[in-house]
Amino acid sequence: MAAKKLRRAQLSQELCERLNRYQITTCQDFLCLSLLELMKVTGQSYYEVQKLLCKVSRACAPKMQTAYEMKLRKSVNPSSAFLSTTLHNLDRVLHGGVPCGSLTEITSPPGCGKTQFCIMLSVLATLPVSMGGLDGSVIYIDTESAFSAERLIEIAGNKFPTYFDSDEKLFWMTRNIHLYRELTCCSVLKRILSLEEEIISKKVKLIVIDSVASVVRKEFDTKLQGNLAERSNFLTRGASMLKYLAEEFSIPVILTNQITTSLSNGPAIQADLVSPADDLSLSE
Amino acid sequence: MQREVGSLPLAPALRARLAAAGFQTAQELLETGPCGLSKEIGISKEEALEALQVVRQECHGDAARTAEGLGATRKFTALELLEEEQAQGFIITFCSALDNILGGGVQLTKITEICGAPGVGKTQLCLQLAVDVQIPECFGGVAGEAVFIDTEGSFMIDRVVDIAAACVQHCQLIAEAQQEEDHLKALETFSLESILSHIYYFRCCDYIELLAQVYLLPEFLSEHSKVRLVVIDGIAFPFRHDFEDLSLRTRLLNGLAQQLIIAANDHKSAVVLTNQMTTRIGQSQSTLVPALGESWGHAATVRLVFHWDNSQRLATLYKSPSQKEATIPYHITPHGFRDVQPPAVTQGAEGTEMNPRKRPRREEEKQ
Repeated sequence: MAAKKLRRAQLSQELCERLNRYQITTCQDFLCLSLLELMKVTGQSYYEVQKLLCKVSRACAPKMQTAYEMKLRKSVNPSSAFLSTTLHNLDRVLHGGVPCGSLTEITSPPGCGKTQFCIMLSVLATLPVSMGGLDGSVIYIDTESAFSAERLIEIAGNKFPTYFDSDEKLFWMTRNIHLYRELTCCSVLKRILSLEEEIISKKVKLIVIDSVASVVRKEFDTKLQGNLAERSNFLTRGASMLKYLAEEFSIPVILTNQITTSLSNGPAIQADLVSPADDLSLSE
Repeated sequence: MQREVGSLPLAPALRARLAAAGFQTAQELLETGPCGLSKEIGISKEEALEALQVVRQECHGDAARTAEGLGATRKFTALELLEEEQAQGFIITFCSALDNILGGGVQLTKITEICGAPGVGKTQLCLQLAVDVQIPECFGGVAGEAVFIDTEGSFMIDRVVDIAAACVQHCQLIAEAQQEEDHLKALETFSLESILSHIYYFRCCDYIELLAQVYLLPEFLSEHSKVRLVVIDGIAFPFRHDFEDLSLRTRLLNGLAQQLIIAANDHKSAVVLTNQMTTRIGQSQSTLVPALGESWGHAATVRLVFHWDNSQRLATLYKSPSQKEATIPYHITPHGFRDVQPPAVTQGAEGTEMNPRKRPRREEEKQ
């Protein structure tokens, strides 16, 4: 939206050419200038510039919907609102399962089962809707090289022995899980930014990132100057892209985090590592 | 009439030409007339006429202002303001302790900022207010509509349905207890569908969409004149990444704050913003402070900070022009934002608040 060119915002051709001379080509450039600056570059009066601002804003602004319309849309398709985890108590506490359309964070000390949970959810997502799955592919971004394909087959075969009765079905399922090994923050971010086309072409219904914390911890030492800002920048960029993907395609996104010790004046307590987890927090 | 040409809102090129031709006051321009003007400075007659119309509008506006003394300039006596403030409603939050420290509830025509760590209840309070603003006047509300601008994607429609249902039930119990004519009449229009249809939701994915939406807000508010609450959930999120130029960020935020203040005053609505917390690394220790920097602290009139104390959620009134600093505990229940203790029973009939009180969120559940 921000990179929308001004000529698509229905400004006149000559005005666009004039603005081009000042290197103002997108809506973002236009809206970031103050009124006086806009008067100077467009050469128009105060009231005209205000009208232009409204025109450009209309080209960028989101569409309005009432809460009632949202509820109606949701009630039309209730089964696609959650991915059931098949753990009865967990599903009850989460009001149905892992919600589609938002980010879910799983965090724990090492060895508790985060990766196993992610692998199981990947199997569940490939199952048909009649069995509680999402009937789609999975994108699995692995930063710790912890994903084991053999374990995947073992879980699938043991949990749903009647469904995965032939090797063919198992192979079909594994073919739908797309694994990406990314070992640096930069490559993780690049991968996240390139996911949009993959989701459409491969009919992806679940994104798993295991784990965000390991790459961040490796590369950013928060005691050094400036690292905190850059780390926060990386995390919020990734989070906003993932939120956009989750909402746009109505799919669940699972992220795993690690536990660290928060040292304070009192006794050491356990707390989540990634503090800009304001965007990556468990929904509901 | 003696207004200088340089201060008129004409195009800069035109102003430069007028100055070069020697025009100094608006009066001179009007006396010259469009044909004379077009000959002297070499513009077309239509352009000259347009310019003169702008000048006339400005001067007329000035004259009206000096002659009558009200209208466009916001000049009041303190007594008029007092009467207006006392007649104005508050948006209640259903947590009486919070309403008390705020002086009655969230005030209209003011900007209230809610800061807090993740998961502490900022969005819950926003959802509660979006429902509470619609409570009919006979039940103590302001009977308005709500605009919800979401930048973080934390708006859960199922949660709004829960909160709205609880609110309608609460009002129904009051109506049953008091059995008054206007209560029952108001309840006919105050239903779940009507509450949901009057929450106008915008999802802004980056700061440009947010800026564009706030530019279009005055127009939207004039079309929907019953809106009494504008919520921006997550003013910090779109501004915290991809901004190498911090001075641009400060300028955009200040512009945003000014436009919101104008919108709040012109349309008599409350503006509620939620902010995130960030870590400030000090000499020996680091503290949690509201995000977006020191200069943003001046934008809001009222600032509330939500935080945890072991497993109890607390709200602190950090900045307010009329109330003193205070801290109160609150709960998030399945019905929404509530007090810790059941509030003093004034109407007598509520049973809903007492029973299904969820136990407070414990530390291990948070993780």
